[in-house]
Amino acid sequence: MKYMLLIYGDEQTLAMRPEAERSSMMEEYHVFTKDLISAKSFVGASSLKATTTGTTVRVRNGKTTMTDGPFAETKEQLGGYYIVDCATLNEAIACASKIPCVRTAHSSCEVRPLGIITGSDGGIAVTQ
Amino acid sequence: MQYMILIYGREADYANVSEAEMGQVYAEYMEYSKALVAAKAFVGGASLKEIATATTVRVKNGKTTTTDGPFAETKEQLGGYYIVEAATLDEAVKWAAKCPGAKHGSCEVRPLGVITGADGGIAAMQ
Repeated sequence: MKYMLLIYGDEQTLAMRPEAERSSMMEEYHVFTKDLISAKSFVGASSLKATTTGTTVRVRNGKTTMTDGPFAETKEQLGGYYIVDCATLNEAIACASKIPCVRTAHSSCEVRPLGIITGSDGGIAVTQ
Repeated sequence: MQYMILIYGREADYANVSEAEMGQVYAEYMEYSKALVAAKAFVGGASLKEIATATTVRVKNGKTTTTDGPFAETKEQLGGYYIVEAATLDEAVKWAAKCPGAKHGSCEVRPLGVITGADGGIAAMQ
């Protein structure tokens, strides 16, 4: 079953880490990802640029409004995700606990099972 | 450039929606997905199961703690996402405005940063 591992952290705090620490964390992510691939669990992953680069869109009564930034102010912001294929929720949780940022307590991870997965033709590929 | 469209909505609003109405919502999403595909903008997309199925994982001093539910209580909850290919943020925002979720909730558009490739390396750095 496919799960999304949503990685949340305090953007400002994370941005203040020294370059050496960030580089070493990128290396750890590389190793973490390769482990997922070996376990045939890796489906996809990406970091997201800071919430300051985002725009939130709402359409009400046909009128579109855009606001700079995220959908809501939260203490921790979404910084990236992994999508993993695991046999059980517990396995997905175990993966989450090994995410480098999560392991060092800089971030938390919300584990969510995917529901309806859209296929490359725009139709339903899988309903979980 | 790839962007994520994060679809936020109030789950409680869907609690009493009829099967027919839900069918209508799914049809709208399928139409939207197909429009993205036709425009060669579709990269990926999925709904997420409801918040009640979420588990939040934190690690402190090597100890893992799990709590039922999302990372934080928010008025709107993350219900799904699309990843789209767009030349500019404006183009990605236009797609977000067409997303069915924008009518009832909020669609947050975020550029991707470091995209991981199938081999575990860096596929792209945006």
